[in-house]
Amino acid sequence: MVDGKQSISFRERIQGFTRNQTALLVLVLLILIVVFTSLSGGTFLSTSVGSTILTDWGAYILLAVAETLVVISGGIDLSVGATLSLSTVTAGWVLVNGLHLTSKTTGVDAWPALALAALVAVLTGLLVGAVNSVLINILKIVPFIATLATFGAAAGMAIIISGGMPLQGPTDFSLINPLRIPGLDPKVFDTGLFSPLVILMALVTLVVGLFLHKARFGLYTYAIGSNVFAARAAGISIARHTTKIYLVGGALSGLAGFYAYVRLGGGSPTSGTGMELYAIAATVIGGASLMGGIGRMWGTVIGTLILITVQSGLLMIGVATDWKQIVVAVLIAGAVAVQTLQKKNGVR
Amino acid sequence: MKRSIKIAAAISIVGAIALAASGCAGASNQPIKIAFVMGAESDPFFQAMKVGAEEEAKAEGVTLIWQGDPSHYDVATEVPIVENIIAQKPDGLVLIPTDPDGLQAANDKAIAAGIAVANVDTHVTDLSKVVTFITGDNGDGGAKAADAIAAKIGYTDGKTYDVVVGLTSATATTNVARLDGFKAAIAAKYPGITIQDVAYSASNPQTAASNVENWLTKYPNLAGIFAIDGTNASGAAAALQAKNLTGKIALVGYDAYPANVELIQSGVFTALIAQDPAAEARLAIKTLVDYIKNKKSPAQRDVVIANVTLDANTSAADLKKYTYVAN
Repeated sequence: MVDGKQSISFRERIQGFTRNQTALLVLVLLILIVVFTSLSGGTFLSTSVGSTILTDWGAYILLAVAETLVVISGGIDLSVGATLSLSTVTAGWVLVNGLHLTSKTTGVDAWPALALAALVAVLTGLLVGAVNSVLINILKIVPFIATLATFGAAAGMAIIISGGMPLQGPTDFSLINPLRIPGLDPKVFDTGLFSPLVILMALVTLVVGLFLHKARFGLYTYAIGSNVFAARAAGISIARHTTKIYLVGGALSGLAGFYAYVRLGGGSPTSGTGMELYAIAATVIGGASLMGGIGRMWGTVIGTLILITVQSGLLMIGVATDWKQIVVAVLIAGAVAVQTLQKKNGVR
Repeated sequence: MKRSIKIAAAISIVGAIALAASGCAGASNQPIKIAFVMGAESDPFFQAMKVGAEEEAKAEGVTLIWQGDPSHYDVATEVPIVENIIAQKPDGLVLIPTDPDGLQAANDKAIAAGIAVANVDTHVTDLSKVVTFITGDNGDGGAKAADAIAAKIGYTDGKTYDVVVGLTSATATTNVARLDGFKAAIAAKYPGITIQDVAYSASNPQTAASNVENWLTKYPNLAGIFAIDGTNASGAAAALQAKNLTGKIALVGYDAYPANVELIQSGVFTALIAQDPAAEARLAIKTLVDYIKNKKSPAQRDVVIANVTLDANTSAADLKKYTYVAN
């Protein structure tokens, strides 16, 4: 015992460092950036790559945020990607088949139509969230199976509504192009990193993050995820609160569908294909536990950034993108290992 | 006593079912049942194929089963669907395999179960027991894409050009055949063109757009993009329009989605290589019906249906003919 107190072992140092989840994630991100920059001969560390990474981050982040809420509450949502697909398609359908607008409407002229697209997409997402809530809270189906069902139904409906083809409609591509500080020549110093829509996605993330960490909404979410019996005993209505969580998750996925609509200039039925797995991966890499009760919004924000950086980085250094899956697998395993270490230390 | 009554009842029920079943099999006026199993059902290519299949099935009086994963182009989801179809005992199966080896076992199991199997568009590795294999000429389509890019960039011998190729997966045989045709044409006719990179979209147009955005940084002098299927074509078109590069980089896509055909006129696409999926489906059903009814194998097992190049010079009538129609 005396010996142990005299010198801090290497293992203890590691354990101490892993307590600071956010610092660890930032470190991983920095290492990735350094590795990709050196292997790409410097091209990776450029504003244009940065803006592409942020554009992709904007596409994934709201799904990851939705997933984080659900995972912290002890559930899982497999339907986020399909909800994105369905929402982007219903938005496209209303504009193209409902209002007979075409891709010839561009720029500021497209804004009223885009506002409507955003509304339709969010309402569609809310609807899927409501179905999830009914399946989980009223029919008492476990979240994995309930959201697997809505995943299939939403993906199928996206195809039926769109006829399997992208519904090309009005858009304003400048909304997803990076904003630049006026007066500075981008050839000398390119300031273009954040597009208006990426800023919007970041603000939405911030608001949800504040609700998660600073409001009763978050407190209840953690309580239910940590111990559902204790939460019930404390007077929290489990059904009412999980309904809120799945509704918010649906609305966020719907907004991600609007993002895909603007980015692709239309509603494409496969816009969300495969994205649920990356949303879950980003959440886990960010430090959330699939057992519930553990997770931070900052972790998810950086976890998503790490995933996208890997995707872009591998392409920039010319490594086959097949490797992406392997790198992602390593990151997930690493994140879970850190969690296990923390549990041993009694850190939450 | 009670037990023996139960057993007798059970035997008589089983007997009745067996009789009924044999009666069904023996009836010659039972309509022929043909199943289609594909990768991602949402792919407009398959939707266009469905239009042709439904037309032909109606004309031949065939009951059509149409089944695929809603949106994943994946071996893992396709194999169980084929297993399920085999259990439904159709007379014929038109299989569009997502992977040549991954679907081989399921393909052979269907044949062993007495189902006449055709492969359409893509194929399994061992085609020896398959009634027919019908495909678009993907190799030739790839070569046509190379020609279209070369024409757009004003290819001159002695100069060098960078191009990239967006694919959906590394194993889909159509993707591979198009890429091979593209590479062969470049090697033979356009030695100044270098294929710098390929990347995969996994059926998601947002990923396809992101790949193109990264390439634009990596290859500042990028001359051309070959977007090997509809998903990649959509993603690449959006990325180039967003970056105001319409017409500045040669973009040749594949598959005639109505939205993409419109973009030929506005100059976003240099050209689209179009297939005729409806014709493939019609021929597949016709060949299978002939085989099931008359036990007659087609004179030629492998049939290739030509691809066409759609560009700004294509007549409106031809554009209409090749544009995919949704249900």
